[in-house]
Amino acid sequence: MRSLRTITLAALAGVLTVGVAACGSSNSSKSANAGISAPQGVLTPANESWTGGKRGGTLNVLNHEDFEHIDPGQSYFAIDYEAVYATQRPLYSYNPNKFAPVPDMAESAPQISSDAKTITIHIRHGVHFSPPVNREVTSADVAYALDRGANTNVANPYFEAYFKSLEGFSKAKGGPISGITTPDKYTIVLKLTEPKAQIVADALVLPVSAAVPQEYAKKFDEKKPSEYGNFQVATGPYMWKADSSGKILGIGYQPGKSATLVRNPNWNASTDFRPGYLDQINISIGGDPTVIGRQALEGSHTVQNDTPAQSIVKLAFEKFRSQLFIAPGAGNRYVALNNSHGPFTNVNLRKAVWAALDREAMDKARGGSLVTIPATHFIYPEIPGFEEAGGIAGPKFDYNEHPQGDPAVAEKYMKLAGFSSGKYTGGTTIQVVGSTGNPASTDAEIVNQTLKNLGFKTKFNLVDQSVMYSKFCGVVTEEIDVCPNVGWLADFADGQAALDVPFNGKNIITNGTNSNWGQVNHPKINKAMEAAENVVGASARAAAWGKIDKELVEEAVAAPWDWDKQPAVEAKDVAGAGDVWNEASWDYSFTSLK
Amino acid sequence: MTRYIIRRLLWGVLLLILVTALLFVLFYVLPAGDPAKLRAGRLQNPKIIAAIRADLGLNKPLLTQFWIYIRNLGLHFNFGYSYYSNASVKSLILDRLPATISLVAGGAVIWLASGLGVGIISALRPRSRLDRASMGGALVLVSAPEYWLGLILLYLFAADIGQVKIFPGANSYVPLTTDPVKWFTSLILPWLVVAASNAAIYARLIRGSLIESLGQDYIRTARAKGLTERRVVLRHGVRSAINPILTIVGLDIGVLLGSSVLVETVFDIPGIGKLNYDAITHSDFPIVQGTVLFAALFIIVANILVDIGYAYLDPRVRYS
Amino acid sequence: MSVGAAEIVPGGGLQLLDSDVEISARSPRQLFWRRFRRDRVAVASLIFIVLLIVVAIAAPLVVELLGLPGPNTQNPNLTDAFGSPLGPSSAHPFGVDPLGQDVASRVIYGTRVALIVGIVGTAIATVIGVFCGVIAGFYRGWADTLLSRLADVVLSIPLLMLGLGIGAACAVRGCLGGAVQPGIRTILFLIAFANWTYVYRIVRGLVLSLREREFVDAARALGASNTRIMFREILPNLVAPIIVYSTLLIPLNILFEAALSFLGVGIRPPTASWGQMIAAATPIFNTAWWYMAFPGIALLLTVLAFNLLGDGLQDALNPRTAR
Repeated sequence: MRSLRTITLAALAGVLTVGVAACGSSNSSKSANAGISAPQGVLTPANESWTGGKRGGTLNVLNHEDFEHIDPGQSYFAIDYEAVYATQRPLYSYNPNKFAPVPDMAESAPQISSDAKTITIHIRHGVHFSPPVNREVTSADVAYALDRGANTNVANPYFEAYFKSLEGFSKAKGGPISGITTPDKYTIVLKLTEPKAQIVADALVLPVSAAVPQEYAKKFDEKKPSEYGNFQVATGPYMWKADSSGKILGIGYQPGKSATLVRNPNWNASTDFRPGYLDQINISIGGDPTVIGRQALEGSHTVQNDTPAQSIVKLAFEKFRSQLFIAPGAGNRYVALNNSHGPFTNVNLRKAVWAALDREAMDKARGGSLVTIPATHFIYPEIPGFEEAGGIAGPKFDYNEHPQGDPAVAEKYMKLAGFSSGKYTGGTTIQVVGSTGNPASTDAEIVNQTLKNLGFKTKFNLVDQSVMYSKFCGVVTEEIDVCPNVGWLADFADGQAALDVPFNGKNIITNGTNSNWGQVNHPKINKAMEAAENVVGASARAAAWGKIDKELVEEAVAAPWDWDKQPAVEAKDVAGAGDVWNEASWDYSFTSLK
Repeated sequence: MTRYIIRRLLWGVLLLILVTALLFVLFYVLPAGDPAKLRAGRLQNPKIIAAIRADLGLNKPLLTQFWIYIRNLGLHFNFGYSYYSNASVKSLILDRLPATISLVAGGAVIWLASGLGVGIISALRPRSRLDRASMGGALVLVSAPEYWLGLILLYLFAADIGQVKIFPGANSYVPLTTDPVKWFTSLILPWLVVAASNAAIYARLIRGSLIESLGQDYIRTARAKGLTERRVVLRHGVRSAINPILTIVGLDIGVLLGSSVLVETVFDIPGIGKLNYDAITHSDFPIVQGTVLFAALFIIVANILVDIGYAYLDPRVRYS
Repeated sequence: MSVGAAEIVPGGGLQLLDSDVEISARSPRQLFWRRFRRDRVAVASLIFIVLLIVVAIAAPLVVELLGLPGPNTQNPNLTDAFGSPLGPSSAHPFGVDPLGQDVASRVIYGTRVALIVGIVGTAIATVIGVFCGVIAGFYRGWADTLLSRLADVVLSIPLLMLGLGIGAACAVRGCLGGAVQPGIRTILFLIAFANWTYVYRIVRGLVLSLREREFVDAARALGASNTRIMFREILPNLVAPIIVYSTLLIPLNILFEAALSFLGVGIRPPTASWGQMIAAATPIFNTAWWYMAFPGIALLLTVLAFNLLGDGLQDALNPRTAR
């Protein structure tokens, strides 16, 4: 199931120049060379097309999962992003087939001062808010949106990580941030306390930069928690269906049931790079993944917008191949092993698990080679550093050599760990927490059986995925030994974005929600990451982070088993545009009906 | 009689408060997840989590939280707000109620009609082959788990995934007010599933009750008067046999309104049960509490109605 | 199916009272047994259940005799290139699941969970229910009021919803200070929590009428203590109705476990449970019907057998309904 989407919060010592489409294209050619392109007849980012679509019509979207937060200041999830990027215009956003951002509400690329402490952005003229606000968007609305990022009533999850170098951030407490100024109606200036302009500029692609009208939103933002999401106004081609007062809840959004996006009457196509072909988008929430996948494939004007079930991918490939879209670079999946507590503090035990794991069987349960690649390290295809870390074959270690698992190598490391029988005889019962739902539970069971075969006594539990992260795997004090099915999806095409949060010791958050699930904390690696943060230049960064990836493999900090290729399915009369930057979601702003 | 009704109603209200308290303690002592952390998202610092906890009122002592809840419930009929969408729980429940009522009411009509028919036929020819076959069939239906039955029906007859594409499948429910025809067809399979096990139970109950009443003296008298057998059975036998059954119907409908989660899940009907199930997986406590209370309310009200009905029919009950 | 009180009470309580009114030279127990033996369906069900118990206890042996792999033997070679499991074959008569585990083997092991939950769960609930029922019926007064009101509260809570909540809450670490561990113990706890009330109501009613009977007066006149009267004089008279009634509860509890496991809060893999297998089969049931069908049939047959047995016992106890 989806919701792998977790966006890195690490500071990016910027290499990604906003507005210049460089990384995406160079990487996709690289991945084609590596022989991991999708089979003939399947839609991919390389062959999808979205120009010249037919205007009009209603698209039916089938989602199993509900939105988490529809407020653009709080959204942080693939399903939420689908609606946010169709209704809102952050300063920068994406074309469907590229990881590289393009100016959206901004008119052009950000101007960064030579000391990297000031960012100046000019915004477009003639963009209007949807009813009931109706007026033109000004730089003050963007400033207010950014102020909201520090408002605890809004509870933005990533703002502090990216924007804490803003002047006056620590004193803001939800009010105006002094480092954000608007010299005129169309200019916004961000002043920083540290030379981190590149990271801040990169992060303006996140939805927190989407304009919010203060005079309208303030009364909602004063509520604890803020209710602006349920009354939000749009700047993009679409808006949430609302009544005349702007109320969405119960009208355009029935939680757990349905949602409706309609055309934004105030949207002016000449100010936007998005075509916005559709008249309306009806989203149904909650259907069984098997059923809705089939309904999308066999239906009309319909798409499924979360991960189709394994049986649906098979069906699509065999009978509806031209309706199947597959995007590489949709994150990694690995077995988190607790590096700071319990038996897996021993590197040889970690290596034994890695060696014993049948990664091919794990991937097969997810749908086989069509949608997975057995992982040999952590940076996944499409992310710079992938080739430098060893490409498909990965770093050469005996425990990494056999994707089907090698009991002999496992035994060797068991002996090295001091268990002369070749099986674990330490006596500790280890806690394994996986997530429910197919195929996550299947993979968790394979890991559990692998551990048992190695001699471990396990306490095996499956819980809902959100509970797995928020109550167990993401809570340091729970001391969970093994989380078989965790994964990371970087927001930027950058090695640091892929590795820093899950594997840097400084990111272990004891009282919050921790995303370094294996509590990986190796001084040598921490130091290498600190140094690599400041490396400048695309190839130098790829080399630096690729090298760190190799070190992670050498320490066997976790056992990677999958690089996702995300599938998506559509009806035959839909000209879908799959978002490679958003886990192959269908982009409402570019999708049209045939 | 009035005093009896007042007594029953008061006990009903007290029962509801006790159930609320019990649920409150249960979910407070045994939370399935931390709502503040769930709301905060995957990456969050402790400061914001603490702020969210305060916003949601989760940092107050249990008794205070309970008092606030009861006060809002009692004074404003306010069930609180979802931790995620801020939607009012009352509006969510009222929004989902029509689907659940459609499911249960339609199912009840089918199970009563078929249960009555089969029950009467069986009772008229007890121990006959027809009786044995229908009672055996009834037992099989009682023994089949309803979600399994639902899935099998989908596999066989659903328009999208079925072997023989006849009825609309899962996720096809539309409200009655939107499109009555689609409403009806989309509910055929779910109704059959709800009706199946209950029809079986009722057929057996009606058969037993009818056999008993047909053995009574007044039936013999009616027969002796020369009434037709049809008239004897339908006018006299069934009428007295059906009274105890009707009270059970009330109870069953009350229970079902609150616990149709399995059928709603299998057929993706956006009803109360589905709402509850989704809320539990997300630890959205106000919705969990609200839906369980609502379900309890149905059970308690059904019980009171049945008790009052009994008291009306049998005066002895009132003074016990 | 819903486990409402209403469905259980009608067939049980009121009619059971008549059991020892039978006028006969034979003891009621002999009569009961004679009548039961004549009911071929009930006897067949009893034999089937005994067989099930044997299969459950000797599951490893049965699996080996049939030449099947163990219930947790994973085999990725038994799924196709897309990870879809392969169907029935001579080596795997019921096919395999997405892990390549043998479905037949898991169905056989699933018998264990079903029977433990059905029989042990019902037994715990029955013991509690009988104890409380005897106390309430015999002493009446405040003990009766308190217990009866408590039963009212419990019966007002929608059981499946409560089960979902507790099942989710007690996952991983267990709850109530670790007393309720996830899996089978959570289910037993829930069954005991809810089901004692049904037994309680029946037993209380029976005791209320029995305590006014002559033999109780006689015992009291002879100076017997209350405890002795309750447990030595009254209780033996309740054995038959309690057995009949518990037998009718067993299938409900088996279905309850399967329902919770189906919803993902009951028995967790790798332990094989029929409900959990049906749940796991749901997302692939249009491509792997066998994974859905066989556990479902096993569940149906088992529940049916207990229902038929309960029916037979009830008819034997109270022949009037069986005419």
